[in-house]
Amino acid sequence: MVTILGIEVPNQLNELTVQQFETITTIHANTDLDAIDKHLQVFEFLGVPTIEWDNVEIEEFKEIVRNFNDIQSKPELVNTLEIDGYTYTAFEDKFKLSVKDTKHIEKIMHSKHKGYISELLAVLFKRTDLTKVEHYSDAHIKLKAKLIRELKAELAVPYLVEIGQKLSKHIPKDAPTEILE
Amino acid sequence: MHLPKSWSEIDVLQFKEIRELYTIPEVFNREIEILAILADVSSEELEDLDIEEVTAMISQIKFVNSEPSKQYKHQLDDYHFKSLDKLTVGEYIDLEHYFSKDYNQNIGHIASILYRQKSVDQWGVTVFEPYNFSPRVRYELFEDYCINDIYGIIPEFISFRENFMDTYGNLFHDNTADADDEVRPTNSEEAKEIQKEKSQLKWGWERLIYSLCNEDLTKFEEVTNLPLIMTFNMLAMKKELNI
Repeated sequence: MVTILGIEVPNQLNELTVQQFETITTIHANTDLDAIDKHLQVFEFLGVPTIEWDNVEIEEFKEIVRNFNDIQSKPELVNTLEIDGYTYTAFEDKFKLSVKDTKHIEKIMHSKHKGYISELLAVLFKRTDLTKVEHYSDAHIKLKAKLIRELKAELAVPYLVEIGQKLSKHIPKDAPTEILE
Repeated sequence: MHLPKSWSEIDVLQFKEIRELYTIPEVFNREIEILAILADVSSEELEDLDIEEVTAMISQIKFVNSEPSKQYKHQLDDYHFKSLDKLTVGEYIDLEHYFSKDYNQNIGHIASILYRQKSVDQWGVTVFEPYNFSPRVRYELFEDYCINDIYGIIPEFISFRENFMDTYGNLFHDNTADADDEVRPTNSEEAKEIQKEKSQLKWGWERLIYSLCNEDLTKFEEVTNLPLIMTFNMLAMKKELNI
């Protein structure tokens, strides 16, 4: 936690939920906002009213942002989750991306909707008592995403890093062939 | 899993299937579908593979993101390429139609207009079979050929069309004036005028033929069988001399 203008605000990955993390990344992805507005919106979302900033000097604001962004832990990939008595597994020994998972993940990322991080994790984490068909049904993925949204962001971040690295390495960047005219 | 190494191993039908997949917006999803077509397997068969394995395969089929050869064959069995400057009005209009729709998907139709049977008449003159068939019944004849054999007719026609429009564009201009500009009518008279212009644009070729027929529709075929270049030269002369 970090204290901002007397208010306790979660900033560590084991304090923020996946849902909060999704909102923060959505705010940061908003190209209509400048850097200061993005931080103000994030702080407001986490409980610091915008009006409180009226008398804050820019140097003090910069220091607050620096403290907020100071992430202490570096979480590892967690391969198994237990939720409501069910086991969800993302991989056995080493994290791999299958073609099927990648196809789903690419579609989710392409849709650019707010809850994409939890849906992306919902594709990777498969309930061990279910079949392959059930893993990928839209309704099941939405349900898993809803459960994952309540978990801590420390679960999501290592996966985002791994997926980002794999996709940038493996997904071809060739422009669609538009040929002549 | 055998994968083709270049367009020289791809036939026209496969080419059409591949190009159709470019409507899939997600790059990886699209590449997997293309890979499945080229490997002749269902895309489900690839889904359990690791992304690393398929990436190696995808890198082998990178040629699909380039164009096939622009050198086309002038003869495909009994069918011979008809030089573009010998096109008739009717052939050109149909080619325009297939190009404006989607020339990749219509390449068989386009080939069926441009590749024709021919014979030598009693005077020793080479004559092409008349254009009295529908490309819709003949396009399949060309789908088994290698795409490299016929793809070049596409850039060839596009280049011909550009030159044609440069030369005769002013003849179309009256019909297509302001076609690209969305003009907002300020009153009902203007709205009627804009609607009329839109109708004229929609029926452009029909209007041209109707006028060449002197409004006598029994002459329709006669007009569509006229040589394109000669017809447009005459129209250009008529316009310039205002006769």
